[in-house]
Amino acid sequence: MTDTAPAVAAPPPSGRRSEVDDPDAPKKSPARLDINELVVAYGGLKAVAGVSMAVEPGSIVGLIGANGSGKTTLLDAVSGLVPLAGGTLHLDGQDLSDYIPEERARLGLVRSFQDCRLYPELSVEDTLMLCEDARRRVSVLATTLQMPWARRAERQKRQAIDRVIGSFGLERFRLHSTAHLSTGTRRVVDLASIVLANPRLLLLDEPTAGIAQREAEAFIPLLQRLHQVTDATILIVEHDVPLVFELCSKVVVMQTGEVVAAGTPDEVRRDPQALAAYLGASDEAINVSGPVPAASGPAPSDSGNPPAEPG
Amino acid sequence: MSFPPSVLLEGAILGLDYGLLAVGLVLIYRTSRVVNFAQGQLGVVAAVFLVKLFYDFGFNYWVALVISVALAAAVGALSELVLRRLFNRPRVMVMVATIGLSQVLYLFTIFPFIRPKKLYRAFPVPISWTFHVGTFLFSPGDVLTLIVAPVVVLALAAFIRFSSWGLAMRAMAENAESARLSGIWVRRTSTVAWTLAGALSAVTAVLASPSQTSALTDVLSPDLLLLALLAALIGGMVSLPVAFIAGIGVGVVLDLLQWNITNPSTGSATVELILFLLLLAALLVRAASLQKGTRVGEKSSWAMGTAAFRRSGDALRQKVGRSGVGITLVVVACLPLFVGVGHSFLMSQICIYGVIALSLTVLTGWSGQVSLGQFGFVAVGADIAAHIGSGIPLILLLPVAGAATALVSVLVGLTALRIRGLYLAVSTLGFALFMQTSVLATPCFTLPLIHKTICSGLPNPESTLISRPSFFGLNLNSESAFAWFSLGVLVLSVLMVRVWRDKGVARRLIAVRDNEVAAGSAGIPVVRTKLLAFALSGFMAGYAGVCLAFATERFSTDTFAPTFSILVVSMVVIGGLDSIPGALLGALYLEGLPAIFGSTPTVEFLTSGAGLLAFILYLPGGMAQLLHQLGDLVTAGVEQLRARRSGVPPGDPTAVADAGPAADPVDPHRGRSPAGAGTLTMADP
Repeated sequence: MTDTAPAVAAPPPSGRRSEVDDPDAPKKSPARLDINELVVAYGGLKAVAGVSMAVEPGSIVGLIGANGSGKTTLLDAVSGLVPLAGGTLHLDGQDLSDYIPEERARLGLVRSFQDCRLYPELSVEDTLMLCEDARRRVSVLATTLQMPWARRAERQKRQAIDRVIGSFGLERFRLHSTAHLSTGTRRVVDLASIVLANPRLLLLDEPTAGIAQREAEAFIPLLQRLHQVTDATILIVEHDVPLVFELCSKVVVMQTGEVVAAGTPDEVRRDPQALAAYLGASDEAINVSGPVPAASGPAPSDSGNPPAEPG
Repeated sequence: MSFPPSVLLEGAILGLDYGLLAVGLVLIYRTSRVVNFAQGQLGVVAAVFLVKLFYDFGFNYWVALVISVALAAAVGALSELVLRRLFNRPRVMVMVATIGLSQVLYLFTIFPFIRPKKLYRAFPVPISWTFHVGTFLFSPGDVLTLIVAPVVVLALAAFIRFSSWGLAMRAMAENAESARLSGIWVRRTSTVAWTLAGALSAVTAVLASPSQTSALTDVLSPDLLLLALLAALIGGMVSLPVAFIAGIGVGVVLDLLQWNITNPSTGSATVELILFLLLLAALLVRAASLQKGTRVGEKSSWAMGTAAFRRSGDALRQKVGRSGVGITLVVVACLPLFVGVGHSFLMSQICIYGVIALSLTVLTGWSGQVSLGQFGFVAVGADIAAHIGSGIPLILLLPVAGAATALVSVLVGLTALRIRGLYLAVSTLGFALFMQTSVLATPCFTLPLIHKTICSGLPNPESTLISRPSFFGLNLNSESAFAWFSLGVLVLSVLMVRVWRDKGVARRLIAVRDNEVAAGSAGIPVVRTKLLAFALSGFMAGYAGVCLAFATERFSTDTFAPTFSILVVSMVVIGGLDSIPGALLGALYLEGLPAIFGSTPTVEFLTSGAGLLAFILYLPGGMAQLLHQLGDLVTAGVEQLRARRSGVPPGDPTAVADAGPAADPVDPHRGRSPAGAGTLTMADP
């Protein structure tokens, strides 16, 4: 298999899967996230020290900064994995403080993890089914007795994941346990589960970590496509600066738990504080990935298998 | 609460033994990150051998002592060499391996060249000093313990504090990987630790033996190990001095409690209750610090690689599997017609054990919660059968007992929210012991403040007799009828567990086990899912308990001894941890084999202990793996046969493509595939 960029098909003319087979689901729209004076402390250390930002509905906001600047902690706080020491979080004006992680997931807040470990012993199929389980619960009793509605729900879930497995080209890996997949393929599975989760706000933690540079480039059109398909607001933490500048409508630079610069990619690129904090003085860091075509990525004819491990 | 001062000293002497044992546990835990269930048995081998040398061969005591301690040290080192193969395995597996090890060590004590001719003789003591405190006479054995135990612990502490081996051990306790990278010979250090632990265990057994009147092999039994574990846990599984002193404390507390017992039958139950509560408290208080370093280890893949072959899409392979199950079922169903009463009874036993093993597959295999106390749940079911079994029809009794046990199980599971892995295993073992010696052994008790009498224990703890009911007109009194009934229960259980496996329950449990954080973020309710595993498992164990009660008809508290819980763990591990047929094969192996070779303790321990070790070491997928390979072989044979008939050569490419997904589980990218599969593309949904 050749190591080339992905093909990105045209956007669907109509109807996401959620509208097709899940008529009960409320009509969803991208969410707005307001972070106000957020503080997260580990012991005496303030990992996030009073961060405020607004993430507009439907935008893609990039979060960059050196290691230990509090980016992942910020995502953890938003998804409810770490307790807040101060400040507030609002999703569409709703205070999130009373929601535990699994409840936030039900509000449409979905995140991916940096390590992308997924569930080592689960097959790809089961991993995706799990996303459907979270959205549509069937009681254990009904499952045990194989009630008609339980069977129907299971069948519908299977149809839903069949479509996603098809569109992500995961058919071949369907029965493999995720532990046996390469990092790249696991990321694809992760993205597939994101699509299934039908997010309103998507938190991505270094989606290109552990992926070769060339494959990372391939992620830009993929993430754009993901944005289109899920119609979600995206907050992304990423070290690949060119990817962030290409993808995001707004970039936030963090340093030691604080926001040092924020604005459009162009503004941040010129911001002296941002340069000092993270980007460095030279253009080299900014152009790691090289110039990226502004359009929808490389031609489909190049399609190959980027997530596969090189070699 | 009044007591003579001698009670304190007596308790302290007992406590010195617990303390020594606890120190050994901590020593192993620090280097191998495993609770060594063989810690007691290591020394028992030496103590038995000492008796042999002293009486049968007429050795001088001190010579015999040195030889036996050296033997225990050697056995300890040897054990480490065996367990070393499991270095990279989940710690829970290693712990189960130490259970197997302790059973193999038990075998040592009955080998003719170690076992003395007469077992019930006074254990030799080299001194004859005695002294009085009040009216209480302290024996030479007590004096020996008072002198030797502190000296040994001080020597060990000095060794760890000042020698380079000790430094290496302390470094390993903090971070084995880093220690390894900075040049510490991790494996050799761990051998040294096991050698020391073996010697220490020998000293413990030699000191503890003189005060025992029963057979030597019982000197360091599971409940004694649990006391030592309690002390070790108070020491956080790290601190040798704290563990030692806590051991003494446990001994004193225990002795004081026993001194104040007025009613012997309820009194010992109270003692057990207090011990169980102490254990829980130690675990919960220590939970945070205990798990500081263990999370990394637990991140490694938990199960044993069976998931890869769980479901292959090949239709022919499925057909082979189904026919295999069908044929087996027909054969087994016909068995009661041809075999005698004894074997029909055995068949019931195997079926019921199969259900219990399945309940553990759900809890341990899928949810990753290690339970060493499954028979505690079985006991709840049996207890319910003893109380209301004659009152309501069996068809109702089974789900009612199941539901009630599920409730108890969820309560036990609540501790699992704070503690897990090895510590959960310890607490469930404590629960099983508590059920046996406290709840079941007390027919009735009066609540202290409201003076209300509750009768929750077995009506007669020594021997409770219940009669089998009829089941939809089928008289279950004949053994063959009960065998069919048990088979029916087993088949229904398998069907139920299969539904859980294939229709969405198992994947939730496994997801929470494998990655709690991600599962929570994906919207799976973590706490509820963990408790669900306990509820499902408890439900099965509960109705299995009803069946077991009716199968045996006469039972006592000993029917639910913790050793049976450990037997069930062995079944599941031997069978294959997360496999349904594996659990059944394990039950068949451990219950059926002894019947074929005669049900002596020797055979039982050999089949479980040695088998357990061999399976863990050499067949990580358990018997299920063998079964699956057999299925593959048959499938290949059938394929070849078909190909020969239709004239297509066996190397037919379509046949290869059929086997597609399962063909190359290790590196999926090497397999041939339709163009474009697995790419970073996203076509229209």
